[in-house]
Amino acid sequence: MSSVEMVRGEEDARTNKVTDTDTNTNASKNSEKEMVILENISKAYNGNKTNRNSSNVNTSRSGSSTVLFEHIVLDNLNLRITEGEFVTIVGPSGCGKSTLLNILAGIDTSYTGKILIDGASIKRSPDTDRIIIFQEGALFPWLTVYENIEFGLKIAKISKEKRREIVMHYIDLVQLTSFAHAFVHQLSGGMKQRVAIARALVLNPKILLMDEPFAALDVQTRRMLYDQLVKIHEKTNKTILFVTHNINEAVALGDRAIIISPKIAGIKKEFKIDLPRPRQLDHPLINSITNAIIEESKEMYTSNSYFTSRYGNYSTESKPDLELESPQSQLA
Amino acid sequence: MQNIQDNNQLQTSFKEANSNRKKRISLHDLANVTLFIAAFIGIWQLVYVLGIWPEVSLPSPIRVGESFVDLFEDFTIFTSIGMTMYRLVIGFGISIAIGVTMGLIMVKFPGFGKTMSSFALGLQSFPSVAWVPFAILLIGLNDAGILFVVIMSSVFSVIILTYSGIQNIPPLYVRAAKNMGAKGISLFRFVMIPAATPSILVGIKQAWSFAWHALIGAEILIAAAVGLGHILLVGREFQLMDQVIASMITIFAIGLLFDRVLFSKLEERVRERWGLDQSIER
Repeated sequence: MSSVEMVRGEEDARTNKVTDTDTNTNASKNSEKEMVILENISKAYNGNKTNRNSSNVNTSRSGSSTVLFEHIVLDNLNLRITEGEFVTIVGPSGCGKSTLLNILAGIDTSYTGKILIDGASIKRSPDTDRIIIFQEGALFPWLTVYENIEFGLKIAKISKEKRREIVMHYIDLVQLTSFAHAFVHQLSGGMKQRVAIARALVLNPKILLMDEPFAALDVQTRRMLYDQLVKIHEKTNKTILFVTHNINEAVALGDRAIIISPKIAGIKKEFKIDLPRPRQLDHPLINSITNAIIEESKEMYTSNSYFTSRYGNYSTESKPDLELESPQSQLA
Repeated sequence: MQNIQDNNQLQTSFKEANSNRKKRISLHDLANVTLFIAAFIGIWQLVYVLGIWPEVSLPSPIRVGESFVDLFEDFTIFTSIGMTMYRLVIGFGISIAIGVTMGLIMVKFPGFGKTMSSFALGLQSFPSVAWVPFAILLIGLNDAGILFVVIMSSVFSVIILTYSGIQNIPPLYVRAAKNMGAKGISLFRFVMIPAATPSILVGIKQAWSFAWHALIGAEILIAAAVGLGHILLVGREFQLMDQVIASMITIFAIGLLFDRVLFSKLEERVRERWGLDQSIER
């Protein structure tokens, strides 16, 4: 705990100067409205079908035998994101971070709680005001880069000239103008993700949901995409919710990094990263926050099993696979 | 400036790469084919000279060639090919239309889809000629009867591969498309059908083969006035073996043409565009 306080103090000291010079932008940021409000989001998988470890579980301790198994993924989670904020979510796989994203995107509809986007509560179905970018890109191989980016606009029945204008703008933003007529399989992994980002942005969503978008890429490509994503965020001022299991990535990119713990099925801790962009990935503050998050995560890790507290004493094989290396090793 | 030029060059090179397919018939392959045909005709001639069968049962290659000339001269071969192709295009076209529509309906209504797919699977392997008596009694000895047999023999391949093609679309495509606002008809039109196209094409190729088998069979059995099958029938009735063989060669050539030229070209293009050929770099 004390280490976190220390980090906060340190961070204030470092950013003081910057906040002074940048009062304008910061002030406007503070006065901005809340874009996303999540209230008491709860989600549980129950029954026999869900968990691979559930077959051996005997729930004799619970009186009724109707519910064989219940796995609470999210338990009364609350989160507020202001407009233009870049929020990253970290946590080990299985902690519910992707579930949260799917709930927000309207793909996962079985949850309780309330979600407000731009003041209006959302329908439980996908919509173009929240676009999700998947790890694999999910680009359509039968379309060219241009046509892929155009896709959402075509569905929205926007006129051809208007479409062209918008597509050209965003294709330029992700620096793929020369690849407009290339097919998806002719692109590298990093280019594919840039197309996916452009394809999402053309629809002018209120929030961009990114589900480990760079996880499948090599380190150099990833670092290049960090730069580009940060620039795109600066230019478009989009609200971004970015899910990752890479702590260093979360700290390097976000205005705020949120740790989700499977143990409490909710937000364990938040770190504000008040560092100006572009950031150096090996900046001491990034390192110290990364280390602080690793410390936090170790707690989740050392506690025998993260099911223990909830479901008695059977042990699970699954281990949290949060990337616990130091930032240096991640950059190597 | 330099950059813009580079960009333009890159763009055109992509366009070229996408449109220009290096396709040339290699001399080597051509020589092989010629040699094969020569050997085939040689053996045929040899068997003929040995005189195992009377000439009426096995005419010489030259006699068959003359028969070809006869068929060409009175235009029989052209009208026959024309009529047969006409039936094929109509029957096959209807078959594709029904098959794809049915496949889509089956995807839309999963309960029906499941039942129908096992039903279609059974009917797919149903021998096409076995439809003939049914068609004659139901429709009669006419063109419509022939078309019926062609459609019944080929439609199930299209149904099955459309259905399974759409079923096997990566769910991620559908999720992404729904997220971008696609639903209902636009989801079918812009995502499901294009995503399933490679599979649908396999179904169409298979259906073509079934349709072709069925068409010639039906033309022979449902005595059509004109058609390649009809030449075969007349040849049998008047013991004109040279005409029978000439007709068979024509049928063979048409089949090869469709398979080699039309469908493999189509398949190659689709595979390339869909990026399915990456492992086979040529």
